[in-house]
Amino acid sequence: MNRIDIQRGLADVTDEEVRRLCEFVYRKTGMMFAEEKRYYINRRLAERMEATGSTSFQAYFATLRADADNEIEHLINSFTVNETYFYREDHQFRCLTSTLLEVIAPKKKAGEPLRIWSVPCSTGEEPYSIAIWLLENWDKVDRYEIEIVGSDIDTTVLRAAESGTYSERSLMRLSKDLIARYFTRLDDGRYRILPELSSTIQFTKANIVDVGQTGAHRNFDVIFCRNILMYFDDTSRRLAAENLYESLRPGGFICLGHTESMSRITSLFDVCRFSDAIVYRRPLGESHG
Amino acid sequence: MDETIAKGRVLVIDDSAMVRRYIRDALERRQFEVQEAFNGVEAMEKVLSAPFDLLVVDVNMPKMDGYTFLHALRARDGEIATIPALMTSTEAGPQDMAAAYAAGANFYLVKPVSQDDLIGYANALTGRSP
Amino acid sequence: MPLKKRESSQEAAGRAPEPLEAMIEALRHPDPERRWSAARRLGERPGAAAALAAALPDEADPRILEAIFTSLIRLGGESVPFLLPLLRSDEAPLRVGAVEALQAMPAGFAPHIEGLLQDPDSDVRIFAVELTRKMPAEQATALLCRMLDREEHPNVCAAAVDVLAEIGSADAVPYLERCRARFAREAFLTFAISQALHGLSRTAN
Repeated sequence: MNRIDIQRGLADVTDEEVRRLCEFVYRKTGMMFAEEKRYYINRRLAERMEATGSTSFQAYFATLRADADNEIEHLINSFTVNETYFYREDHQFRCLTSTLLEVIAPKKKAGEPLRIWSVPCSTGEEPYSIAIWLLENWDKVDRYEIEIVGSDIDTTVLRAAESGTYSERSLMRLSKDLIARYFTRLDDGRYRILPELSSTIQFTKANIVDVGQTGAHRNFDVIFCRNILMYFDDTSRRLAAENLYESLRPGGFICLGHTESMSRITSLFDVCRFSDAIVYRRPLGESHG
Repeated sequence: MDETIAKGRVLVIDDSAMVRRYIRDALERRQFEVQEAFNGVEAMEKVLSAPFDLLVVDVNMPKMDGYTFLHALRARDGEIATIPALMTSTEAGPQDMAAAYAAGANFYLVKPVSQDDLIGYANALTGRSP
Repeated sequence: MPLKKRESSQEAAGRAPEPLEAMIEALRHPDPERRWSAARRLGERPGAAAALAAALPDEADPRILEAIFTSLIRLGGESVPFLLPLLRSDEAPLRVGAVEALQAMPAGFAPHIEGLLQDPDSDVRIFAVELTRKMPAEQATALLCRMLDREEHPNVCAAAVDVLAEIGSADAVPYLERCRARFAREAFLTFAISQALHGLSRTAN
């Protein structure tokens, strides 16, 4: 098959077929592709049909349904920005300091630390962002001991996170002030985060689907688990959600990526709506593990 | 303010795309504004994020069934706890209807739901004239 | 600086495996924490499916219910005979939990699907239709099409139409058209079939 066949196959796709695709994705992930964005959807569909060598919608849809070669992940990725950078989805950090910590902190006993988990932490942008955000935006940051843990299944990215060096692009959402305050510029044009900061984050290996590994990560007040669960199959993400639930203290919160929802995963958590963000909470007053 | 617009936001909660389409079709033709949710968890997310005047809730849905959702909704503080709810189900037994009212449903409709019945109850529960 | 790195935890040092009987007993413990813990850990113990399923009807805590079902999913095929009867349960959380659990094990429910699609209870047939969504598309399409030709209950047909709209191919078109003709006075069903046909066939209306 060649490009002409693929283009022909794509030109033939009907609105109803696109609707079938959207309903399948909605059922599976909770992501709703808006009607107004039909042109955008067609473009992404065209890319994926070409990438999979599908000469008809039927053929592509069969591939998608079978999740052959992780096609669901590829399709979702084509709709979302999956680059990692500092202060990504920072409305959730805003929620952290304006609401979540304000709820949690007053309940802490003297000397009890606030514990925040970033998992997967990838190359460290997220846990470092949390640290910087807290230092910059939380007026009570000096009153509490704060432990930030960053975990990933991949030891390569963990090592990179520990070394804390980043491209200028990764810092694109940070003001010059912030960069000057928390990073040093290296000779090769990259930036390294201040050792005082990198030494305060604990980086660990963890697989959130594995009960044993998450068992070592417990008593967190807030978990950021963004843009990973949606790529797992139904059973794995259900298991991961239970593990994360156990890793939270009662009353603790978990944030997913802004296009993700617990609705396709589990009903363990209470749904909370705070200004910009939907956040999920382990109920207070019950101890389950 | 135009009453029909003020009182017409409906959340249709069902895991069947066809059912949601059918109910949407009926409601939109009467100028109701329709949003959808796949199950009780998503319904809670939507209800917390925007005002609704009416819920149409199915019973058998994955992750959180309709009874569980309604119980949880009715137990909350604030106005969302009292949003009128039409429950729909394929189950036609008296105990199912009793369970629906116990969960806080205003009415219980056995599937397949007729569009006329649906509109009648929707008008009644949102205070519109028929 | 308030940010502090904690030394790595010793907490999850290897635990000796607990005796199966003790964990099964803990499924009935008055302390929900104990029941939760037992429910979760029994998911790793082959042979535990019977005990897990037996605990379901008496478990009032929805979170522990969910953990029990997750463990039944993890145990796979051995859970199937205990999940099937739950399709008939009077309790909605048990019904939907069982459907979800079975959906995670298509190889496990496959031998039972034809029987379920002919079950005397129309609601069980509806659940069976929902299970076929997780089967290989060609197999499921064939099963559902055959069913459409003989099924009397419009809700069951509608469930099949919903699944066929997703998984079906042009092969399903004649079966859908026949069903639509048979149930011409069923407004929802004919609506659903027309919608499904739009997606499955360019020439159908």
